[in-house]
Amino acid sequence: MNFEISKRGNPHFSKIHPFLADLIKEVAEDPWEDYPEGSSRLLPPPGTDEELLMDWADHVQPDLRRRFQEDRLLVSHDIGTMKLGKGKHPVWSLEIPEDHVDAWLTTLNALRLAIVTEHGFSEEQLAHKTTPDLSTLHGIALLKVNFYAFLQECLLQGMELGSGHEIGGDINGDALNSD
Amino acid sequence: MMMTHPDLLESPETDLSISLDTPWLVVVHNDPVNLMSYVSMVFRRVFGWSRERSEHHMMEVHTQGRSVVWSGGREKAELYVQQLHSFLLLATMERSTH
Repeated sequence: MNFEISKRGNPHFSKIHPFLADLIKEVAEDPWEDYPEGSSRLLPPPGTDEELLMDWADHVQPDLRRRFQEDRLLVSHDIGTMKLGKGKHPVWSLEIPEDHVDAWLTTLNALRLAIVTEHGFSEEQLAHKTTPDLSTLHGIALLKVNFYAFLQECLLQGMELGSGHEIGGDINGDALNSD
Repeated sequence: MMMTHPDLLESPETDLSISLDTPWLVVVHNDPVNLMSYVSMVFRRVFGWSRERSEHHMMEVHTQGRSVVWSGGREKAELYVQQLHSFLLLATMERSTH
């Protein structure tokens, strides 16, 4: 899998293996539906002041949730534009409009937070110090969290570097390490 | 013996220990899920900070568990917390104790 910023200034993922493409397609999942306990992390309280908490619940949190859903729908639209190449072992490509990057970053982050909270992953597990057991849903969820982190890092590096730069696509490489 | 006039007794409404000028602090708390590069980007975006200042506060969150990123009036503090929440950072606001 490769990543670069196209001449148009858009993040562009290419040579996406079908397995990884399926994971990308799941980025548009609704965390409130698929991770009901985990989604509690997405709207944390702003403090302990009672008046503030009431105001937040009545006005701020509904607005935030609406914005998160709008971002998710934008991402869902972009996923719908993924292209499958030709050949014996076709691979996928995805170009993300530059002005959609923020929506992707937020949506990826929301999904990672919801999955981690739902599954109760430890800091050690998140720091790649344990190998996920891919025969379990728990292990697949950890794989998703790490892969979505890789996508976030690519987008963030792309924002820094600008167009014409290719960033290495080895998903086991440095792009996965957040420290 | 002096008698205390009831009107001069202190009540919670007249307790001046909580000054109206006491600033509110905006605090960002550590969440191991949030990428360090992402947190730094959010700080630059929300507060308009330089890369260096953003990374300083990001490292403070990472190593000390929290960082005070702003202090001032309540309304502005609420706005900043809302913006930080829109990026899914763990942020709260609290009265300064100073």
